[in-house]
Amino acid sequence: MTKKLLMIDDDPDFVSGIKAILDKGGFEVDVAYNPKDGMTALQTKQYDLLLLDIMMGRGAEGIMIARKLRKDVKLRELPVLIMTGMREQIAFLFPGEPIHPRFVEIDELVEKPVEPKMLLEKVNSLIAAAEAKKAGKK
Amino acid sequence: METKPKILIIDDEEVVLDSCTQILKGSGYQLKIANDGLRGVELVREYQPDLVFVDLKMPGISGFEVLEKVREIDSTIVTVVITGFATVSSAVDAMKKGAYDFLPKPFTPDEFRMIARRGIERRRLMLETIALRREKELLREQFASIVSHELKAPLGAVQQNLFALDFELEEKLTEEQKAKFGRIKIRIDELLKLINSWLRVISVDINKLKDSFAQVSITKPISNALESVASLAERKNIEIVSSISDQLPPILGDVLSLSEVFVNIMGNSIKYSPDGTKVTLTAEVQGQNLVTTIQDGGIGISPEDLPHIFDGFFRGKSGQAGHGIGLAVAHQIVDAHHGSINVTSELGKGTTFMVSLPLFVNSP
Ligand SMILES: Nc1ncnc2c1ncn2[C@@H]1O[C@H](COP(=O)(O)OP(=O)(O)OP(=O)(O)O)[C@@H](O)[C@H]1O
Ligand SMILES: [Mg+2]
Repeated sequence: MTKKLLMIDDDPDFVSGIKAILDKGGFEVDVAYNPKDGMTALQTKQYDLLLLDIMMGRGAEGIMIARKLRKDVKLRELPVLIMTGMREQIAFLFPGEPIHPRFVEIDELVEKPVEPKMLLEKVNSLIAAAEAKKAGKK
Repeated sequence: METKPKILIIDDEEVVLDSCTQILKGSGYQLKIANDGLRGVELVREYQPDLVFVDLKMPGISGFEVLEKVREIDSTIVTVVITGFATVSSAVDAMKKGAYDFLPKPFTPDEFRMIARRGIERRRLMLETIALRREKELLREQFASIVSHELKAPLGAVQQNLFALDFELEEKLTEEQKAKFGRIKIRIDELLKLINSWLRVISVDINKLKDSFAQVSITKPISNALESVASLAERKNIEIVSSISDQLPPILGDVLSLSEVFVNIMGNSIKYSPDGTKVTLTAEVQGQNLVTTIQDGGIGISPEDLPHIFDGFFRGKSGQAGHGIGLAVAHQIVDAHHGSINVTSELGKGTTFMVSLPLFVNSP
């Protein structure tokens, strides 16, 4: 079945660059351009993964969303790919190594811009990790 | 409307207080008076004056003590001491302790007005200087965020769309067209990297670094760095000979930023050395410090360049690519660790960097 993704990011140009890659990769992608619409979408629809921009609006509003997710029993299990343009704020020394901020149970952080191959790899592996976890719980 | 400047006069002689009040009446200043030191200090706290006149000779706490207290409360408050003619020498002492001026008794209304005006002006300048300094700090921070938002974000969006276009057209593009995409992507990537290094220089927050200090072994950041520069060394067929014992005592620091220090220094050693040469790493305890030495057999640094290599954006004339930032960042990080970096170099022979970091001491 086609996987459904939600992307929350306030830069429409950036979004279109990501969405085109995911479209071609066979995903169905919804977009929210601000945290509020993003939360509404998350609460009304079912998604397999969230692509989340950290730096939105006046500060790190993306982190607020991650916090809300963590508190929500159902949404807590949603895997999140965090995208940030603020490389200098994270350990940028070892770009090869995956970074898991652990905002939610299953997450990973990538730096903008994201290469197509890497984007698809990360999305697939996060979804797989979430599914494996769910299967293990049953 | 601007608030009226506030003056406080502390003197035990009623005559002085009265005449000052008379002189300043209708002058555009707000005035409060106190007839002893304790009450005066209390008023300094409550009233937050711009200018304080203090009689040096008072019963109870002395004028000198009042001066000290005022300084503690707010060092930008301007103080002027009131003294009798016989005690001009103590006025000089007071000024050494930070009083701005003195008013000899007896004084004419004009003398008093002039000294008050100068004191108030002094206070205004002090506050202005502080505000300017704060503004500058803010600007620096803001510059970093402007660079990220206004420059980096749009460039990132451009690159993301290029990625997408290239990916969508994968099957349709000719080799030549793909090569064009490749060139654009590389140039944009270089720009993004440049912006990142600028941000790096602006935003190494030394105080934040200290939050993550822990007891660490020097071998950790060094092996991190070795891993990170390995491919570069391999490409240039440069052997890195490391003889660092894992028995060395720990230091107090932050592993990631220290790794960065060694990546930058070792990266240089490799970058500024001819193919097939060697880089040698050693570490030893010297007094209260752990000194790590990185020695290369590279092109060396000229005596004219040597004093500048730690300056931000300084680059030698080697013809190698770089931004002149690596050593500036390394220096800031080592500084934050209360350590030091020393260099010796000989043109055409090689360069030796010594990174000295304080040993971890168990606090009681
Ligand atoms: N091991 C070395 N041998 C010779 N020259 C060196 C060495 N290390 C540093 N330098 C000189 O010092 C300058 C500053 O070094 P720094 O690492 O700060 O900047 P960079 O290497 O030019 O650029 P980058 O920011 O990419 O590291 C270099 O341009 C080079 O001229
Ligand atoms: Mg360098």
